Amino acid sequence: MAALGRAALLLSFGLAVYALVAGSLAARQKKRRLALSAQNALLSAFGTTLVAALVLWSALARRDLSFVYVAQHISKSLPTGYALSAFWGGQEGSLLLWLLILTAYSALAVFLNRRNRDLVVWTVPVLAGVATFFAFMLCFVSSPFETAAAPADGAGMVPSLQNPYMLAHPPLLYLGYVGLTIPFAFGMGALLSRRTDERWLVATRRWTLAAWTFLGVGQLLGAHWAYVEIGWGGYYAWDPVENAALMPWLAATAFLHSVMIQEKRGMLKVWNMVLVALAFNLSVFGTFLTRSGVVNSIHSFSQSPIGGWFLGFIVMCVVFSVGLIYWRLPLLRARTKLESLVSREATFLYNNLLLVALCLTILWGVTYPLLTQAVRGTTRSVSKPYYDFFLHSFGLPLLLLMGIGPLVAWRRASLRALGRTFFIPIVAAVITGAALIAVGLGSSTPGLLAYTFSAFVAASIVLEFTRGTRATGSLTKLVARNRRRYGGYLVHAAILLLAIGIAGSSAYQTVREKGLKQGQSMQVAGYTLTYESIGTTAEANAQATRAVVDVSRGGKHVATLHPGKNFYPVENQVSNEVSIYHDPRNLGDVFTIADGIDRNGTLFLKVLVKPLVNLVWAAGFVFVFGALVAMWPDAVEQRRLAVRYATT
Amino acid sequence: MIALSVAAVLALFIIYTSIAGAGTPQIQPSQLAAQHGDVMLVGTVVPGMSGDAHQGGLHFTLEDDGPANAARTHVLYTGSVPDLFKVGRHVVVEGTLRNGVFVAKPGSLVTKCPSKYTPAKT
Repeated sequence: MAALGRAALLLSFGLAVYALVAGSLAARQKKRRLALSAQNALLSAFGTTLVAALVLWSALARRDLSFVYVAQHISKSLPTGYALSAFWGGQEGSLLLWLLILTAYSALAVFLNRRNRDLVVWTVPVLAGVATFFAFMLCFVSSPFETAAAPADGAGMVPSLQNPYMLAHPPLLYLGYVGLTIPFAFGMGALLSRRTDERWLVATRRWTLAAWTFLGVGQLLGAHWAYVEIGWGGYYAWDPVENAALMPWLAATAFLHSVMIQEKRGMLKVWNMVLVALAFNLSVFGTFLTRSGVVNSIHSFSQSPIGGWFLGFIVMCVVFSVGLIYWRLPLLRARTKLESLVSREATFLYNNLLLVALCLTILWGVTYPLLTQAVRGTTRSVSKPYYDFFLHSFGLPLLLLMGIGPLVAWRRASLRALGRTFFIPIVAAVITGAALIAVGLGSSTPGLLAYTFSAFVAASIVLEFTRGTRATGSLTKLVARNRRRYGGYLVHAAILLLAIGIAGSSAYQTVREKGLKQGQSMQVAGYTLTYESIGTTAEANAQATRAVVDVSRGGKHVATLHPGKNFYPVENQVSNEVSIYHDPRNLGDVFTIADGIDRNGTLFLKVLVKPLVNLVWAAGFVFVFGALVAMWPDAVEQRRLAVRYATT
Repeated sequence: MIALSVAAVLALFIIYTSIAGAGTPQIQPSQLAAQHGDVMLVGTVVPGMSGDAHQGGLHFTLEDDGPANAARTHVLYTGSVPDLFKVGRHVVVEGTLRNGVFVAKPGSLVTKCPSKYTPAKT
């Protein structure tokens, strides 16, 4: 069976190389049949990769421990769902997932755009080039199909990964990461084929939106998993691996917005090429970061030779992107010029600048240890204060722009018109700010600014919806006719919820830690927590020790929590099991951690009260809904675009 | 206009790093003697722990990662101890060397996930 897997991957490699070489030749020499042949090779590569993937999945399902990869990542007693998810639990499998999704996306993208021949003829070799690298790694450097004498039992899966969120988080992230390859390939294809008009943007708009949504949701799921499973009380730690997903997402956010300006006004063409290349290269860089052990991270893995190969590939991709953009710069001349610093075009430009600035400061923070090591000999690292500073410096203005952008006129906005448009949002913001200070929430400046800006944006979104509904007569008709725009506003609303949730749970959180004997209580932010008792029960594969903690507020009992620890004998590991009370009154959480239980039965209880944190998760749902609305196929729009870009 | 913005960002950056300092050094036990002030100590936990992180402090010893090196550092730690912390694990802890003992900043102990992405077999 392993031999079948290896053979399938070799075929994928061969097909990818053929698609790359033949595709490039066919594009240069305008040979139609050769181009079609290359296209078919790329499509077939999905088939062969799928075979390889099925071989691995079947080995995992059958618990075939003669596969080294299977023996390393599961045990015989692991439930089947988790055993299957071990596919992406290790390096080799995760690379295979990359290739599988890449070939699937490539096949679909090329097939859907097959009539756009001039563009696709160059897109195929670019996609094939990326596929070649991953197939090469899978065949010759890091194969999931190594076999050895089967051991008695597998190594098992780390307990914290045996969690439903971990079933969804990696695949969704990959659907996002890999998805960014499609707009990249079309962008580079546009440059190579000299079709640098909006055609490539139109072809890839939904791809970008889908990939961006997957990447966003994947990150939220990861954050939620960290919150409930790892349970240190937070959901984002600015760890390099977390940043590895955030950076391409920020670049993709900028790209998503910036393309609107190219479509409407023919400006920012160079920006769009740079942004899509940045998003793709950061996505590969992220893949490199999480595998090479090159940066110290809580997820750090041992130094792996695969890092060298990845670095080489990234350098190649960066050189290719930059070189190609530079070479075709004359074709990217803008149709129109920026007429005013106070205009919709300008706000989108500021949007680009702020998002890229945030992205690059995070990149700097992540690579800082590598750079200092290379330049000064000692490794230095930055942490939360650095990231928080720049998140506030760039994130807060971005939040404000979200409310300004949609309401500013194109080309040149008159200040008087602006005053009229923004009157209500500004009033909303000022009232909110005053109210918050009066209630005592002025303690945190970033928190206060986040809330006031959110009020501004919320007011402007509501205004847009009400004005539009008044004009068309019905809300559903309004949204149905302008899916992109109003879906976008819904996504903005989701980001608002996210911002409010983050501000509340970080700027206004209370943390207390105390050693309690049975019967003792502690007070945290208006809640009283009493340690009642403690006990241990045996579960399927663990010994579960749980403390019983009574939570009351204002004298009334509101919840009983059970923080504790699990001990897993097979893996010989302890895991922290937090217990959380979701308070409907402030949409926040009372987060309890049994930090330690000593021999005398004293419980060291750590309590975090995090107001509004549940908005962070609620935001995820609104985000997906808004993105779906924005992505939803629109027959009227399709007809209009088909007419505009009619191809032979 | 772009040039102005880039300049503004860089200025912000430079101001920040000059005020807040340029990062914390990450060092191994063998390099600790040469350092002053706040550092992040990286190492592997060796057998021999005592005490309690919540009462009085947890005492443990770190040695250099990688090839066998005699340098070891005694660490005194208070605060939350991550689940994965045990003998043989890679850890990172922030603190200062005082009188031969590395006194850790409370709650700064981070344990790395055991390696799942192992090096390719040669």
